Amino acid sequence: MEMSPLLHFVEHPLQLGCKVFMLSIYAYRLIHLFSYMAGGERQAPTGPPGTTRAKGVVYSWANIVMPWAMESTRKKPFYYIQFVIFHLGMVAVIGLTFIIPYGPGLLNSVGLVWVLQVMMAAACAVGLYRLYYRISSKHMRAISTPDDYFSLSLLIVLFLVGVLAAPNNIVQGEGALLTFFFMTAFFLVYVPFSKIMHYLYYPFTRYYFGKTMGYRGIYPVRRGYK
Amino acid sequence: MTTSTRSHKVQKVLERMGKKLNRQMFGSLVACVHCGMCTEACHYVLANPDDPTYAPAYKADRIRKFFRRHYDGLNLGRFFPWWVKARSLYTDEELEELKDIVFGKCTNCRRCSVNCPMGVDYATFNRMARGLLVSVGIMPEGVAHVSKDQWEIGNQMGVLKEDYLETLEWMSEELQDELGDPNAAIPIDKKNVEIMYTINPREVKYDPRSIADAAKIFYAAQESWMMPSEGWDMTNFGLFSGDDDLGGAVARRVYEKAVELGVKKIVMSECGHGYRSTRCEGPNWAKTDVAVEMESSVLTMLRYVKEGRIKVDKTRNTESYTFHDSCNNARSCGLFEEPRELLNLVVSDFREMYPNRAENFCCTGGGGAMSMSEYTPERLKSGKIKAEQLKATGADTVVTSCHNCVDGLTDLIKHYELGIKVTQLVTLVANALVIEKKEPASKE
Repeated sequence: MEMSPLLHFVEHPLQLGCKVFMLSIYAYRLIHLFSYMAGGERQAPTGPPGTTRAKGVVYSWANIVMPWAMESTRKKPFYYIQFVIFHLGMVAVIGLTFIIPYGPGLLNSVGLVWVLQVMMAAACAVGLYRLYYRISSKHMRAISTPDDYFSLSLLIVLFLVGVLAAPNNIVQGEGALLTFFFMTAFFLVYVPFSKIMHYLYYPFTRYYFGKTMGYRGIYPVRRGYK
Repeated sequence: MTTSTRSHKVQKVLERMGKKLNRQMFGSLVACVHCGMCTEACHYVLANPDDPTYAPAYKADRIRKFFRRHYDGLNLGRFFPWWVKARSLYTDEELEELKDIVFGKCTNCRRCSVNCPMGVDYATFNRMARGLLVSVGIMPEGVAHVSKDQWEIGNQMGVLKEDYLETLEWMSEELQDELGDPNAAIPIDKKNVEIMYTINPREVKYDPRSIADAAKIFYAAQESWMMPSEGWDMTNFGLFSGDDDLGGAVARRVYEKAVELGVKKIVMSECGHGYRSTRCEGPNWAKTDVAVEMESSVLTMLRYVKEGRIKVDKTRNTESYTFHDSCNNARSCGLFEEPRELLNLVVSDFREMYPNRAENFCCTGGGGAMSMSEYTPERLKSGKIKAEQLKATGADTVVTSCHNCVDGLTDLIKHYELGIKVTQLVTLVANALVIEKKEPASKE
């Protein structure tokens, strides 16, 4: 069965246009970031022997897979698990936006469809919990902006629609796929202006923080365990 | 940037922000995702669990809101400010409110920074915000006084040169009496020696015994050393006020004196912010490369013991001891193993405090908080977590390598009635020193 011209449009030209738009904004953002001079360190390094800028940077980047490295994640393993599930869901959703238009044959594998669906469904559940937490915790409410609520809600819905779209089956109608790709298109346009674009800055913030902390001997963190 | 509706001070703050921002700060200002992971890292939050305005992300957003409005490129804050709670500043009252946050609700301890998954270094841009306010004359009274003293008199406690030299003379006499050696004096402005010893003015004013203790250690190690008549204050209120010009000027005084006197090394007495300012930040503020080596006296003392230049008897320090890491030493300069190593060499009963090293909690006296009396009630309340930490060790004495921490901890211990003593490593090392008394010799 052939896809409708509308579905073809949202899957291909629209996605491509939105991706180009997103990348343009990202390029602008990075140029803007690099228009600021990086603060340097003239002093000799401090800290235990063997700590260096490079080790600090690597440790800082590796922090994402070392929940024990920070007290905040070490003491809240449930939060860390949520973080992992949520971001794996993102990987699945982003993967799906490429698989459906450019490698639909992959979805002939029921196993892969199931894996993607489970990843997105789990992320959706975590997203709902995070939304509940953001609303119910007074500390989270105090630091939340409309963008925080909207971005999270948007992702929750996208995960849900992703679950429905993953089989890439148009026999029973194109509704799920059309919704998924229209949402993805909106997502691509909205993300560069929202908190979701944090991943663009993440490598740089952690790089510079790790560089400083490595040079000063704080990273890799040492502590006396109890 | 329209000017008509803004006060002159606000206008200046907004203009200067653009000049103060660097890439690291910009990254920290744009990258926060409001995940809230920093919340429980802050001692203010832990002591005020029902007040979300103490949360680091909340406090950071007070700065972020006008950053977003003016400097965040294509962020929605520029076009739809309400969507990201961006808002410009307009009145001097708003600057006063900001002052209470950046000075009164944060000690720049950097604990939230090391607990942020995104690598947002709030303490760094909080210091920047302090500097912006200071540049238009908005700061706590104490910060203004201390900064003025450091600019004008050359040290943060306004100690006059005569008083300083008199104190050194007095300590020399005490030392000579104690050691029975007329040569056991504190050399002043001696050229081409190995070490120039720099101190915190608090030592001259309130705790001169720590100077005598250090002199005793240098004497025992037969070190070639001296104290300068000027440029001896290694503390630096530029760190607390966010004023890089002050920071650079103060640091330069120390460096230039060391070069003038031809010393090989500047040794800093136990002071967290002094060590950080002179050793780690000063060359950057002063925009100069310092040819003279610099180290904390903790490293100097440890080296003396390890090299056998001094002998210590740990049984002389008979109590139980714990160690408090200064935030500036541990979280900004990586100085946390050496004090423990030294402590274990001079005491028999050392009890670790948890959490420790780069994860330790602030004494609550950091960030210049001891000079901001208007925030004392909040500061003491925020010390609850530190008080609990201290109590849990069961130690008689808490040791710290920071004068600010000595004062901060002393205040907390009194407030929470913990009955714990506070001391520094220099005192313990001096007390543990084994010095064979020389036969009295005639004065040169």
